[in-house]
Amino acid sequence: MLDNLHNVNIAIVAAPLLGAIIAGLFGGAIGRAGAHTVTIIGVAIAFLLSLVMFNHVVIQDAGIVSHSVYTWLVSDGITFEVGFLVDKLSVMMMVVVTFVSLMVHVYTIGYMAHDEENWPEGSGAGKNSYQRFFSYISLFTFSMLMLVMANNFMQLFFGWEAVGLVSYLLIGFWLKRSSATYANLKAFLVNRVGDFGFLLGIAAVLMYFNTLDYAAVFNAAELQKDLVISLWPGTEWSVMTVICILLFVGAMGKSAQVPLHVWLPDSMEGPTPISALIHAATMVTAGIFMVARMSPLFELSETALSFILIIGAITALFMGFLGIIQNDIKRVVAYSTLSQLGYMTVALGASAYAAGVFHLMTHAFFKALLFLAAGSVIIAMHHEQDMRRMGGLRKYMPITWITSLIGSLALIGTPGFAGFFSKDLIIEAVHASQLPGAGFAYFCVLAGVFVTAFYSFRMYFLVFHGKERFRDAHHGHDAHGHHAVHEPHETPWVVTLPLIALAIPSVLAGGMYITDMGFGNFFGSAIQVLPQHDVLGQLAQDYHGPWGMVLHGFLTAPFWLALAGVVTAWLLYMKYTHVPALIQARLQFLHTLLEQKYYADRFNDWFFAGGSRGIGRLLWQWGDVRLIDGLLVNGSARTVGWLAAVVRHVQSGYLFHYAFAMILGLLLMFALFVIAG
Amino acid sequence: MNFVMPDFMPALPEMFLLGMVCFILLLDLFLSERSRVVTYLLAQSTLLGALLLTVSLYEEGRALTFSDTFVHDPMGSVLKVFIYLATFLVFLYAKDYLRARNMFKGEFYVLGLFGVLGMNVLVSAHSLLTIYLGLELLSLSMYAMVALQRDSVQASEAAMKYFVLGAMASAMLLYGMSMLYGITGSLDLGQINTSTAAMDNNSMLLAFALVFIVIGVAFKLGAVPFHMWLPDVYHGAPTAVTLYLSSAPKLAAFAMMMRLLVDGLGGLQEQWEGMLILLTVLSLAAGNIIAIAQTNLKRMLAYSAISHVGFLLLGVLSGTQAGYAAAMFYAIVYVIMGLGGFGMIVLMSRAGFEADSIEDFKGLNERSPWFALMMLILMFSMAGVPPFLGFWSKLAVIQAALGADLVWLVAVAVVFSVIGAFYYLRVVKVMYFDKADVGAPTVSAGFDLRVVLSANSLAVLGLGLFPGSLLALCVAALA
Amino acid sequence: MTFEQILFYAFAAILVFAAGMVITVRNAVHAALFMVLAFFTSAALWLLLEAEFLAITLVLVYVGAVMVLFLFVVMMLDLNTAPMREGFARYLPVGIVVALLVIAVMAMAVGQRHFGLEQMPVPVPHGADYSNTRELGLLLYTTYVYPFEIAAVILLVAIVAAIALTLRQRGGTKTQNIAEQVAVRRDDRVRLVQMDAEQRK
Repeated sequence: MLDNLHNVNIAIVAAPLLGAIIAGLFGGAIGRAGAHTVTIIGVAIAFLLSLVMFNHVVIQDAGIVSHSVYTWLVSDGITFEVGFLVDKLSVMMMVVVTFVSLMVHVYTIGYMAHDEENWPEGSGAGKNSYQRFFSYISLFTFSMLMLVMANNFMQLFFGWEAVGLVSYLLIGFWLKRSSATYANLKAFLVNRVGDFGFLLGIAAVLMYFNTLDYAAVFNAAELQKDLVISLWPGTEWSVMTVICILLFVGAMGKSAQVPLHVWLPDSMEGPTPISALIHAATMVTAGIFMVARMSPLFELSETALSFILIIGAITALFMGFLGIIQNDIKRVVAYSTLSQLGYMTVALGASAYAAGVFHLMTHAFFKALLFLAAGSVIIAMHHEQDMRRMGGLRKYMPITWITSLIGSLALIGTPGFAGFFSKDLIIEAVHASQLPGAGFAYFCVLAGVFVTAFYSFRMYFLVFHGKERFRDAHHGHDAHGHHAVHEPHETPWVVTLPLIALAIPSVLAGGMYITDMGFGNFFGSAIQVLPQHDVLGQLAQDYHGPWGMVLHGFLTAPFWLALAGVVTAWLLYMKYTHVPALIQARLQFLHTLLEQKYYADRFNDWFFAGGSRGIGRLLWQWGDVRLIDGLLVNGSARTVGWLAAVVRHVQSGYLFHYAFAMILGLLLMFALFVIAG
Repeated sequence: MNFVMPDFMPALPEMFLLGMVCFILLLDLFLSERSRVVTYLLAQSTLLGALLLTVSLYEEGRALTFSDTFVHDPMGSVLKVFIYLATFLVFLYAKDYLRARNMFKGEFYVLGLFGVLGMNVLVSAHSLLTIYLGLELLSLSMYAMVALQRDSVQASEAAMKYFVLGAMASAMLLYGMSMLYGITGSLDLGQINTSTAAMDNNSMLLAFALVFIVIGVAFKLGAVPFHMWLPDVYHGAPTAVTLYLSSAPKLAAFAMMMRLLVDGLGGLQEQWEGMLILLTVLSLAAGNIIAIAQTNLKRMLAYSAISHVGFLLLGVLSGTQAGYAAAMFYAIVYVIMGLGGFGMIVLMSRAGFEADSIEDFKGLNERSPWFALMMLILMFSMAGVPPFLGFWSKLAVIQAALGADLVWLVAVAVVFSVIGAFYYLRVVKVMYFDKADVGAPTVSAGFDLRVVLSANSLAVLGLGLFPGSLLALCVAALA
Repeated sequence: MTFEQILFYAFAAILVFAAGMVITVRNAVHAALFMVLAFFTSAALWLLLEAEFLAITLVLVYVGAVMVLFLFVVMMLDLNTAPMREGFARYLPVGIVVALLVIAVMAMAVGQRHFGLEQMPVPVPHGADYSNTRELGLLLYTTYVYPFEIAAVILLVAIVAAIALTLRQRGGTKTQNIAEQVAVRRDDRVRLVQMDAEQRK
């Protein structure tokens, strides 16, 4: 039985990989239909087998499955291996990842159907781009599964970098667009910062625990908690704090927390399916998952938890603000993702790991739904993304409309919808937390509710209701071609089916699992919380089932804040549509601030890019050109080259020289070993 | 005098080889030019047959026969198997090359197989006599093979140099052996070991004999300063022959070193360790540095072979079982990579054209991305970049040397391998970033060559991902 | 000093002298002849060592066959040795120093101490009926049969190599085929052509 499960685990990761390889390497041979069939089958197998594992681990509660598959090398007693750990935390992630991925795969058939239009005429990269896209998203699924199923830090890091790589490839998928290549480079570089911290964190783990295996590290963590390290002379740091903060720096990069968030909005340059899959539902939550996975470590450092709490709170609120002024439909969703990731991070900081992961799950569903719906709108609008040129799409695209509404309601936390349960849980957990910074965080998440509701419904109203502005817009730049306005119409079933399939868990997943995941012991030993941090345990005492929570929900501040947000949005964008412009004019300063994204990019450009360029120039001038090049490299290169040229002449081609060299060698050895020895 | 019939079983592969070579030699006389391929096929099947025999005898365990002049042991069997495999690949790679140059003659195969026989004798030698005879059999075949392209002045010159220097090295080795015989009164390696181990370790005479023995080995391996023949011979010989020289004989040379220094003079480890350290440092330094100045790929690979010998010696001189296993692993890995490297030159060459200049690989990526990738794998592996096979072999010998507390030597080895990375990566740079010249060679080789060469390169990657089994084989062979 | 010792030193002196002359005389034929002398004297030394078979083989094979062949070759080729001696004087000092060094080390290592009569006592002389040819044969075909066979293979390789490197049918060489010449008919060589006479202008 257990052996079978081991094989199931291997099959889960192997199936998408195989699909990716076939579609990627033989894309030309198997054609478009072949590519999407083979990858969808691969991911479907992974999904079904994940359900098998879910059944085993969760429904039958038959214990965790942990095994090692392949030992890469053993060095100094440290084993580097590939191994799988399937417990309730990872199996939940597996199901979510494979399900969303499967939906995205299906959806992509529709979204990328006319991908050749996205490439310049005769572009070599445009050839087989459809197949390549499927190969990438399957490869992503493989990488993400490797990440969540890892039982050791090495494999975690492999998955971590692999998803980063695929994300890089996909953001820049339309590599003929300079904005896309800029965005993927940006994502790559920003993630480098995070990954550097992450790698240092893993190195620190290796240094103090001498193993990379999760179980061994977690077991030993308790013993190491009083260790201190002197990072620079005169200071003492708790080793746990250092490790946790370093690991969290990795999470900040991957999960786009302030100040490493700047890459995520730009990543919207990639095709929409991957925005849904990678930059909303799965990859960006890897940081959240990782922190939850490392809960036995993070629990030992309150400093790190406070740090997480504050970073998360800032992200949750201030990224929400930015969503308000965006006009690009995808960017609104992107900022909302940033803000929601902030919520999850806050939950982690408050030691409510279960709540964070729970929100991760519900968020995966409704955010993927929102993205795919946005994509559906974009398809219908012929790749127009500006919301100011939309409006009134409700009657043309009924399915997209209704599913978007469901997604938005879930996002703002309408009682009963999935988002409500997870978000409320987080807010309550933060409220109950005693950690330094919890008060600030509570304010942020509460205010965030209003902001979320406002920008969500601003988008909803702008797109689906009101005046059909696309008619004016079309006249603007399409005056010559067709005189008739392209009326948007509902997208094909491959697009709408995933919308419907995602809408269902967006409504139901919250109520179904709140009891188990939020308050119950769903995750078992996968997540460990110290008793003094156990905020969810405290909340559980007042919990009386999902219905009770819904009913209570109508009485709490978050509900009223959300309602206020929706109403404000309605007033400003449906009723008094001239007001936003007035506000903008009055609060020009604020608007500019938001427009410039708090000058984060400017700052980064000036400080990091400019700074590193400056340092680079300095090092180049002094270090490289003079010291290294002049003295060492060119010096040594010159020395080596000179030596090579000289010694080369020993190889004169004359036989007697060679023979003489042998005799000299003989003499040398005589001198060293016979006479002296 | 009572004479006991020796046990022929352990030497079955050698006897089979000899019988088949003689048969091929005779048969080849009666074959027309067009049916020469029969010779080729027979030579290949001879190798496979010998391979089967050796494998079937593997389990037999250590045995001495022919009055203790022949030893059968796991190390020998493993090395023989790789010798057959390497030669098999050489014959396969060389076929089209030889055809295009009117060298597709029975002599190439007959001499090649005689060389294999010589290697086998060397690998299984348990007496100074058999070591010397095996060495001569191998060397003589190789001298003749180098000269086989009679119209080539370069090849004739190379053969001449090789022959004269080889004779000199043989003379030195023989002198050392005669000293050893004089000291111990025996030719048998086992007896030499027991009597030298019992002697005063600091005896000047032993050191004197040892110097000559080590020089003989060093010449065969191509360790500095006894390497001078190597670049000229590798460069001058037809590439098909270079392919042969650079592969299996390295394994035989390794075996010769193991037999002489470990089986025969294991008791003098302290003394020969110092000599090998000298050779190691010089080989690493000279091999890596001079390779940088080369523009000819064959010469570059020749110097790279010299530097690899430095690493090989690093494993042996650590004087432990682990070190010997690591060195054996290194030798096998080097042979696999070397076959690929010289195989690429054969692949790119065509009638009347030798693609042996680094320039010829300019922009290969545009013309043949697949083989550019294969070459990239090989170059990375030779440079010791993980996860390719070459990395693991370097790691293994370095670990062995660290185990012997030779930290400074390891540091030297690492520094020089970093310097060495330069010229490997230059090939990669040339392939991927330079524009091809007009009329640059394209890959037009036969299907079998392309497939097997690809498999060869991919094996470097594949075995690099799963290095355990090959290393375990080497460890088991020396246990 | 016994008679044997006198013989030994005499032959040894001639051997060293002859060997020196081989590499120093200008005339190649003389050098070859000195080599013959060196072979003879070393054969004589072997006889002193009771290695009669080897001594006779040396004379028969090396002097009788190898050197004669060698002389043939030397005489047939017009060797101009002057250019080969150009660097001789230049390299001579270095060569002498190196040679002296090597000899010095050899003398230090290999001397009375290790190979003196205490370490290597004189073997008991065999009687007149002792045939070392027979003993050699017995050893070669029993104890040393394996090395002996390999030596045979080496010779075979040498033959193969020698033939492979020298025997060739080069295209474009002018050779006579007597049979073809004899069998030739008039029609093969002469063609009669009917032509109109040229008009005189």
